[in-house]
Amino acid sequence: MANGTADHTILQVEDLHLNFGGLAALSGISFGVKPGEILALIGPNGAGKTSVLNCISGFYRPQPGHIWFANRDLTRVPTHQIARLGVARTFQNIALYTGMTALDNLMAARHIHMRQSTLASALYFGPGHREEIVHRRIVEEIIDFLEMEPIRKRVVGTLPYGLRKRVELGRALALEPRLLLLDEPMAGMNVEEKEDMARFILDIHERRRMTILLVEHDMGLVMDIAQRVVVLDFGVKIAEGSADEIKRDPQVIKAYLGQPGSQ
Amino acid sequence: MTIDTLPKQFVETARKYGQGKVAMRRKDLGIWHEYTWHESCLRVRHLSLGLISLGLEHGDKVCIIGDNDPEYFWAQLAIQAAGGVAVGIFTDSVPGEIQYIVQHSDAVLVFAKDQEQCDKLLEIRAQVPAVRRVIYWDEKGLWSYNDPWLMSFGDVEALGKELDRREPACFDTRLVQGCGEDLAIFCYTSGTTGHPKGAMISHSNLLEGCRIYNQVDRRLDSDEYLSFLPPAWITENILGLTVHVVNGMIINFPEAPDTVQDDLREIAPHALLFSSRLWENLVSTVQVRIADSTWINRLLYRLFMPVGYRVAGLRFESGRVPILWRLLYAIGDLAIFAPLRDKLGLTRVKSAYSAGAALSPDVVRFFRAIGVSIKNLFGSTEGQIHTLHIGNDVKFETVGIAPPGMQICIAENGEILVKGPTVFRGYYKNPEETAAKLRDGWFHTGDAGYLREDGHLIYLDRVKDLLELATGDKFSPQYIEGRLKFSPYIKDVMAIGGRQRAYVTAIINIDFANVGRWAEKQRLGYTTFVDLSQKPEVYNLILQDVVRVNQTLPSPARVHKFVLLHKEFDPDEAELTRTRKLRRGFMEDRYREMIEAMYNGQPEVNVSAEVRYRDGRTGTVETTVRVCSVDS
Repeated sequence: MANGTADHTILQVEDLHLNFGGLAALSGISFGVKPGEILALIGPNGAGKTSVLNCISGFYRPQPGHIWFANRDLTRVPTHQIARLGVARTFQNIALYTGMTALDNLMAARHIHMRQSTLASALYFGPGHREEIVHRRIVEEIIDFLEMEPIRKRVVGTLPYGLRKRVELGRALALEPRLLLLDEPMAGMNVEEKEDMARFILDIHERRRMTILLVEHDMGLVMDIAQRVVVLDFGVKIAEGSADEIKRDPQVIKAYLGQPGSQ
Repeated sequence: MTIDTLPKQFVETARKYGQGKVAMRRKDLGIWHEYTWHESCLRVRHLSLGLISLGLEHGDKVCIIGDNDPEYFWAQLAIQAAGGVAVGIFTDSVPGEIQYIVQHSDAVLVFAKDQEQCDKLLEIRAQVPAVRRVIYWDEKGLWSYNDPWLMSFGDVEALGKELDRREPACFDTRLVQGCGEDLAIFCYTSGTTGHPKGAMISHSNLLEGCRIYNQVDRRLDSDEYLSFLPPAWITENILGLTVHVVNGMIINFPEAPDTVQDDLREIAPHALLFSSRLWENLVSTVQVRIADSTWINRLLYRLFMPVGYRVAGLRFESGRVPILWRLLYAIGDLAIFAPLRDKLGLTRVKSAYSAGAALSPDVVRFFRAIGVSIKNLFGSTEGQIHTLHIGNDVKFETVGIAPPGMQICIAENGEILVKGPTVFRGYYKNPEETAAKLRDGWFHTGDAGYLREDGHLIYLDRVKDLLELATGDKFSPQYIEGRLKFSPYIKDVMAIGGRQRAYVTAIINIDFANVGRWAEKQRLGYTTFVDLSQKPEVYNLILQDVVRVNQTLPSPARVHKFVLLHKEFDPDEAELTRTRKLRRGFMEDRYREMIEAMYNGQPEVNVSAEVRYRDGRTGTVETTVRVCSVDS
């Protein structure tokens, strides 16, 4: 399975290492994400999946290692600029403005696209008003897309868990990213909520032609929606390939199910 | 051209209003978008021609399954303009149910709103070979479906535009071929046994229904309406689409099925219908919200609700309200009633209807207090509106009077029969059922009731649920139980009768919390449920309720004797189902001694009942239960 060279990938992770003190969280991870694909990053607990996402979004600085995105090395870009480059993410433990409405959370994400000065935005009439309308329309389309109409004006802190996850996905979409990083979007959901979320992810991929890097625990769902899968175990990449190839890979089976007994 | 079909009336109304008036509004991306009559008419014209291009013939059936959207109504009118019959299917139907209706109705085309509904149809595709095309109007998620069986709403309209260019007279030719006796819609009613039956409703049924409704409660062309009842249900056709087409009332469509409460507030419709259950839910929602609200809101609510109750009571009893009370009410209106009406979307409502089970008087009084008079409406798929409250003639224990043009009579077995121009044309492909339900123009509702002297109809129950007494009189145990349960002191009741018994008796279960509170106020000491339930004072309290309910009942149905049970009805002991429905057979067996005591004239009865505790242990409770006679 060719990893593809930098020409064919939108995101290229190269020889990523990450140490917490003496603990090696990641040791030499390399993989590429092709434009327009859904790539799943899977592995048992503590395999380093979220660490990879955190490196990409700039929370952690790998030592050493490179992450190429849009001809820039993300490991050298300041964290607050990564979103502007077109990388958006959701979090395993939801991180929304809980005191604001779902709509305002999404509007806040549009901030990076707003051009008007603070003064112009503070006035009701004029360019600030026009800009607000443009962005509101984009946000409303996302609300429609994710079927969030009933919770548009609800304060996020009062929403149930499954819906907060959806608001968070909406906020990531509102950034209009080129690469969407989803960290366990279905963790803690019931079967129906999981199916809804899977449908939304497929719709986003299909309709918005977005490249998605997905970290997920639920193997069944990953196999259903991901085109390619990268498997990590103890900070090392142990396999990469299509869902079917991964299912048959002896190393993956070992990592998930353990060593077969001697009998 | 005589206007005898819905699409003819629609075209006529559209010509009258043209581009100058809003016909429909739909909320999309958070904004209300408007459609003028001209636009709406053009959509129907093109869609209808599109259906003709797809081979739709006069008398063909087309199923529609979808939420309340302009497209649903356009589809229905387009089908009818092309001479077809629209068959509505509820959106929550499972594929098996859809398959039955599509097959049974001989549908040749199906409108299915979105991916969810299209998937259901794709699943049953092999079983419905007669269906030529499935037409969808919400393309979300369907982008990658490359099946020619599925076709978008827009593509059908494009076909229609094409046909309109070639044959500009085609639409009108097809339109004038229709006549009032043509079938307009099929409404499939879920039978309690067997398959659903397709009630055939003609254009004249619907137009006559609207004419009758107009006589008693006319909607103006400036009135607003929010379409949220399932459009496959006849009620949405009667109160919504037909009135829209005939009177020009503006129809608004909610953003999503779950946003109705918010949309209601924004639209504040002039007419609406909720089920009695929903009205009851609204009251408890208000009470919960007030309890969670700021102290000032709570204070205003506590201060002015009694004023509201008092003024509403005076207004409906004597019609005269002293000036001082009117003044207080005006302040209360500013402080709390108007804001409440606004929150509930009831600021402009002129006709607020309730259908379904009887509304509890407390709910009626609550809404009267905040300035909304709820009227009952009783109808059926087969006969449309049978009775309703007209004008100020509102009596909450009745379901109203028959509007002019409708006749109501009570058959010997207590069944309500209806005759009038709205009575349907029979069940599709089901002559046996039609003959059973429709005799000499009288529709047999299957509902039991009786007419009062003032012309008001009292609805009791389904005929099959009535019980007979030794005297041959019939009564409805559920009706009696329902009325008694309106009392805050009564939690559960079982009314007892039967062929071997001469009168009605009841086993009553007191509401421990409310009766307990009452007892404390009366300085009445008690220890346990058993003790409290057998206090003579409590018997007197309940007796007052029974006497009051008896006054509203016809004499054979009055409760002659009752006992207050020493324990609560308990699902753990199989006395109730998990949904708190009585298991009558089991109860009659279990309390045989007690019931016999009420018919033998014994003043009291010793009971020893086995009680099963939560932890699984069993014990016996022995006590004496008093039999109370009611003099009525």
